[in-house]
Amino acid sequence: MDYQAMLAWALPIGVGLAAIGSGLGLGRAVGQAMEAMGRQPEAAGKIQTAMIIGAALIEALTIYALVVFFILQGRIGG
Amino acid sequence: MMGMGLEFIWRSLRTTGLVLLVWFAFASYYFGWVPAVSAFVGGVWGMLNLMFITQLVRVALRPEGADVRRTIGFALIKFPLLYGAGAALLLTAVFDPLWLVGGSTAPLVILVLKAAGRLVSESLTSEAKAVA
Repeated sequence: MDYQAMLAWALPIGVGLAAIGSGLGLGRAVGQAMEAMGRQPEAAGKIQTAMIIGAALIEALTIYALVVFFILQGRIGG
Repeated sequence: MMGMGLEFIWRSLRTTGLVLLVWFAFASYYFGWVPAVSAFVGGVWGMLNLMFITQLVRVALRPEGADVRRTIGFALIKFPLLYGAGAALLLTAVFDPLWLVGGSTAPLVILVLKAAGRLVSESLTSEAKAVA
């Protein structure tokens, strides 16, 4: 298998793995945040802030994978 | 942590705006217009993304239950429109993709640095109180 074919396989698999990982992480974070809010509704503001920071960081990692995909896809084929 | 409510996010966004303006002036002089504009546009996109994440979490994840209409509204703006704009920015040949991504990371870097600074200052204050 040559470099081009390996890249063509690796890019979508990499983006897919990044999406699965961030989906699992975000789902777990939201679940834990909802549980924490249910236990301590008075701390909802602080929990939401932590949730937003976590969600933004998790989302950014998938965006990086997507950007790498866009940058490297030009090297496939040709 | 004291003062870590939603206003922390808005303060971080304001700081990001200031940092992006300073960065734009610095980068346009030292690196040229394309990296400066790319990083600035990426930073504005990152700020908008963080604003929509904040609004989504605020209306969807709250103790009194989700505000369904506003959640759908923010999700419809964030996912097709903002992400579409991000993809369009990446695919146009005008901007440098690496500087765009670097700029879009700016709000996250500032959030983490502000939170870390707050943690350090609070631990130093509590240590000083314990010694006194």
